[in-house]
Amino acid sequence: MQNFEFYSAVTIEDGLACLSERGETCRIIAGGTDLIPLLRSEEVRPVCVLNILNVEALKGVAEEGDCIWIGPATTFTEIMDSGILQRSAPLLVQAASSVGGPQIRNRGTVAGNIATASPAADVLPALMALDATLEVQSLDAGIRRIPLTEAILQPYRTCLRSDELIVGISMPRPSSDTRGGFEKLGRRHALARARMNVSVVLRTDPDGCVADLRIVPGAVMPVARRMTEAESVLLGRRPEPGVVETAAEALAEGILKTTGRRSSSEYKLPVVKNIFKRVLQRLC
Amino acid sequence: MSKPDEKDPLQMTVNGKAVSLSIKPSWTLLHVLREELRLTGTKKGCEQGDCGACTVLMDGKTVNACLVLALQAQGSVIETIEGMGTAENLHPLQESFLANGAVQCGFCTPGTLMSAKALLSDNPSPSLQEIRVGISGNLCRCTGYTKIVKAIQSAASRKP
Repeated sequence: MQNFEFYSAVTIEDGLACLSERGETCRIIAGGTDLIPLLRSEEVRPVCVLNILNVEALKGVAEEGDCIWIGPATTFTEIMDSGILQRSAPLLVQAASSVGGPQIRNRGTVAGNIATASPAADVLPALMALDATLEVQSLDAGIRRIPLTEAILQPYRTCLRSDELIVGISMPRPSSDTRGGFEKLGRRHALARARMNVSVVLRTDPDGCVADLRIVPGAVMPVARRMTEAESVLLGRRPEPGVVETAAEALAEGILKTTGRRSSSEYKLPVVKNIFKRVLQRLC
Repeated sequence: MSKPDEKDPLQMTVNGKAVSLSIKPSWTLLHVLREELRLTGTKKGCEQGDCGACTVLMDGKTVNACLVLALQAQGSVIETIEGMGTAENLHPLQESFLANGAVQCGFCTPGTLMSAKALLSDNPSPSLQEIRVGISGNLCRCTGYTKIVKAIQSAASRKP
């Protein structure tokens, strides 16, 4: 591993000052579970590494009015242990619990999952399904709020500038009648990169019709997104088998349209339909 | 901030002892434990967090030492397998692993014991599924896990 300078930020301002001066040749480290392998292989060779794990203001889960705020340096274990998220956003708890193994979850962070922007990310698509917004800050431009669905540009590339730090992730608190589900497929039950994951958020009105639906499959497209073409099939209708099948078809077609036919399509397209139907079924 | 060839001071507690070193920022906690402190019980497996052979406890939680920059352990309390028991005085988990055939080549064993120790600290009576999740970050190529799980169950049920 090529050597570098190491700086541990104590406050957000500390970190922003470092990034403002040296952001171009600096890499931010939190849990390090994505960055350290890249440093070892020398795929990235920063002059400086900025550690943000000691900044208390970047940690925690809190309710702020109608929103839930998640500190970027919150680990996957802390997500799983959060009473607020267990009650209000169990989808996120499920997604976080699927990442790696206990050791990885004790270090890996939510913002890391976002900033790495792997096409196979687990927590990132779940946050998209929950309508999350990134709060990003720099010395020059102050705070920007970016919907997460707009923040991922390409595999492994977010819209963050080199002098910017993620300082918060917020999302509207799902209503008490909103349900969320997540399922991940991997080569193992743990320590496995997602071959596919599906996040679904569903709210039905009193007569059982779909009032709100978000479907975000992960690891099936270069950049995850809500599959509105599938969501719209079910909106306003009861999730009966025929309609659900049509929505699943639209899901697969939507993915195919985005990616074109790939060698994995023969496996992934029928399977994503089944996983989607299974997750939806559990929520109904 | 340090210059690339300079070394930075690192202070941490390892197995109850205060440790003070001068290290390169690029060194991982794994490197420092094995190469600088000569605590070679912690194993180097994949160096990318995929196997768990390098599992240690950092401030009470299991981590892959290969994925911690040593300077991130500034002021931390580290426990390695060397702190878990001695040949004359084995930890109950170590006894149980030996008694239940949970050790074959032994390479995954230090890391697996660390995970088992952390599991039983948090959850003294884990279910079968909780044990499996508790050691899911440790790969074993020899045993097929059955005896490891049995050893942990046995140790858990023996505790007062």
